[in-house]
Amino acid sequence: MANKIAICAVAQIKNDPNYHYLRFQNMLLECFESIMKQTKVTFDMEKGIRTIITCSDDMFDARTISNNGMTDVVGAHFRGEEKMAQESINGLGYAMACILSGHDDLILFMGHCKESQGESRRMVSNLAYDPFYCRPLGMDYHNVDAMQARAYMEKSSVTDEHLAKVVVRSRKNGKNNPYGRENKIVTEKEVLQSPMYSDPLRELYVYPVTDWAYGMLLCSEERAKEFTKNPVYITGYGSCMDTYFLGDKDITSNFSLKNASQRAYAKAGIKDPKKDIQLFELSDHAAYQLPMWAEGVGIADEGKGGKWIDDGGMDKFNVNLSGGQLNGNPLLLGGAARAIECYYHLSNQAGDRQVKGAKRAVAQANYGGAGQHQAVIVMES
Amino acid sequence: MTTKQMKGFEDSYVVEGRMALPYTYFAGRVGSKFITTIRDQKKIMGVKCPTCNVVYLPPRQVCDKDFTDIRDKWVDVSNTGTVSNFTVVRYDDKHLPRKAPFVLALIKLDGADTPFMHILEECEIVEVKIGMKVEAVFAKETTNTILDIDHFKPAAERISVHEINATRKQWVPVDEPDTQGKRKGGKPDMSKPVIITAALSGAATMKNQISSVPYTPAEFAEEAYKCWKAGAAMVHVHAREDAGMATHEHARIKATYDAIKDKCPDIIICLTSAVGMGKTAEQRLSQIVAIKPEVASLNTNSMNFGIVDRKTGKVFIDYVFENTFTMVQDFGKAMEENGVKPEIECYDMGGLDNAMLIGRQGIFTDPMNFNFVWGVAGGQAFRAESFIAMMNALPAKANFTTCGVGTDQFPCIMQSCILGGHMRVGLEDNIKMPNGDLAKGSYEQVEVAVAIANNLGRPVATTDEARLIMGIKKR
Ligand SMILES: [Zn+2]
Repeated sequence: MANKIAICAVAQIKNDPNYHYLRFQNMLLECFESIMKQTKVTFDMEKGIRTIITCSDDMFDARTISNNGMTDVVGAHFRGEEKMAQESINGLGYAMACILSGHDDLILFMGHCKESQGESRRMVSNLAYDPFYCRPLGMDYHNVDAMQARAYMEKSSVTDEHLAKVVVRSRKNGKNNPYGRENKIVTEKEVLQSPMYSDPLRELYVYPVTDWAYGMLLCSEERAKEFTKNPVYITGYGSCMDTYFLGDKDITSNFSLKNASQRAYAKAGIKDPKKDIQLFELSDHAAYQLPMWAEGVGIADEGKGGKWIDDGGMDKFNVNLSGGQLNGNPLLLGGAARAIECYYHLSNQAGDRQVKGAKRAVAQANYGGAGQHQAVIVMES
Repeated sequence: MTTKQMKGFEDSYVVEGRMALPYTYFAGRVGSKFITTIRDQKKIMGVKCPTCNVVYLPPRQVCDKDFTDIRDKWVDVSNTGTVSNFTVVRYDDKHLPRKAPFVLALIKLDGADTPFMHILEECEIVEVKIGMKVEAVFAKETTNTILDIDHFKPAAERISVHEINATRKQWVPVDEPDTQGKRKGGKPDMSKPVIITAALSGAATMKNQISSVPYTPAEFAEEAYKCWKAGAAMVHVHAREDAGMATHEHARIKATYDAIKDKCPDIIICLTSAVGMGKTAEQRLSQIVAIKPEVASLNTNSMNFGIVDRKTGKVFIDYVFENTFTMVQDFGKAMEENGVKPEIECYDMGGLDNAMLIGRQGIFTDPMNFNFVWGVAGGQAFRAESFIAMMNALPAKANFTTCGVGTDQFPCIMQSCILGGHMRVGLEDNIKMPNGDLAKGSYEQVEVAVAIANNLGRPVATTDEARLIMGIKKR
């Protein structure tokens, strides 16, 4: 098994529909101060933080190189600072590479996104498409995900009723998460009556607009004891990029997620995820993605997502006890939110929703339309 | 910029901003060709990877499966395709090209392997289904993006000629002593199948005018097959060199002939005995005798055969097409002796009379097959009354077909079909469609001819029926 890195502390603010009274810098500062308080870490150039990784999105921040807007509040002045402009989970992979390569042994990883700032998050994702073939058609992550939903639901016999179950459960779990976005508890009937949004996706099948920020302190295995009695380790990371054009691939195949999870499992020495892992946090941007990613990470059988829900797979495998992305995280930061939930369980801090004796957890995240890019990390107590 | 006070935070303000930065993007060489071909030719092209045989749409420079450089491997794909997935966008937003609700669909065009996204409209949303056939509607005004295809719409239900022919009784020849009498009264037998011929190339239509004109044997085979599929029973062929020049070389003509026969064994091939400008009588005839096609053209007039500006009368190319009486006689004899049925090309009434005159030698077997050619610079322009005069001058058992250069093409074939004659279309004579758009290939003009036949209630001749009508034996 390869070397591992430690997560010494995490901090976050509550997921909120609209922090109109907070700048994103304020959101980050709260997390930053919490990390400082929890760990007593310093900015000493010999033993303190010399490298900061931030995660943000220029389009959501409405300024280019948007990390420049908050380097001061994350302690990055006069230090190494690098921005992860992709899904936040890849910041953990990047931190892992930094530490395991010996580049640095202590990293502050901060991220923010104020989705409510922009008039339309769909317009942001429309700009992710090229200006010739896709953008003029109005392609965005929602209508592209809808295509994947249609094809996947057909393949895996996932019905509207299954998705209603996923949504209802997500909101219930979200209520148990002190940092979860405050959403109305809904019944399956209400979900099924929610208006069509982009067929076959209904409005309630899609995660809500959310503002959020987080911080994490990461270090080498050796130094963890300086900052915490209770470190959680990242033991595997894998990512995979699928083709860009939707028509080039079978959008139900889970190609990139299978590849990403296999890489992560190989690094962490996982033989059978169903037995070896006690907790899964999956980035369900829309309800259909929960069973689909469950197939991709190997806890639901291929093409059996509907049956897996019927058989109680979501509870059996402790999937998305946080409420998941579906309950509300900013698009960019679902992976960090997933990893933070895993951290709570593995460090025995998850309160009422604690999975007893959890030793290993998987956090997964995706970015791009129809899960084009996938990344998976394996975490251990 | 405007500012406003937030309720409950009277000492705070927010700034309203907008990200807007005009850009110019280069589409790349591959992307530029794709978009400009759609814009200028109303034609959709993909690239085909020779390693994995995948036809990619949109096109790209390199195959990401096997890293083959495919930037020059352009292939035409159809404007029609099948819906493989779709969503109904029910929200309005500024980046969307349509008001909600509208349909975005993944569409796999016929001839492509990768579906691509586009707008689907002109149908009720509830009628949208996976598997439905759709066709591209091109934009009236260019945006130099994928929206030069404005949208897709449900494809017109088109039952193929072959499906219709499979369900009807095959035509059998009847003894028709009074055919000419009926013809004269303008009451032909409309139940007699109409033979559609596609003149694939000619000697002068070049790829810089229309890329689907075939040069290589493989291209001839592909075009012939498309025409047969669309309803043509015969193709008329001027073989070309790779560079596009009309050729009299036996080997090349034979290779072209064989390629068509391999791909499309049923179709009747009519080889030219004109070949192209400047060919000697020997060059023109010896290849016919060598290859022995079922049909060959036989020209009947020495005549001007030039290129003249239709508006100004300015002469671009001056050429006399030589077909002396001796040549008509020698060509006719050689063809009949070798079992090659002549298609007698008449560029005016004089040509028809020439053939009849030489025919007194007893050279030609019945039925004689005439082609009235209109609009050659040097021959006569299409006139309805001239057509009727020529038809009335035919011997009783003769068949007639017709072709017209440029805009004469569709009016003359329609008249022929009404009067019981046959129809020839193809890029040799005209590169456009009735609406002035470039044809996608000869086959698209065949489709027009089929539509004319359908509208007049005439069956489209199968290859077997065409042989029966023209009096030729299958080789
Ligand atoms: Zn290839």
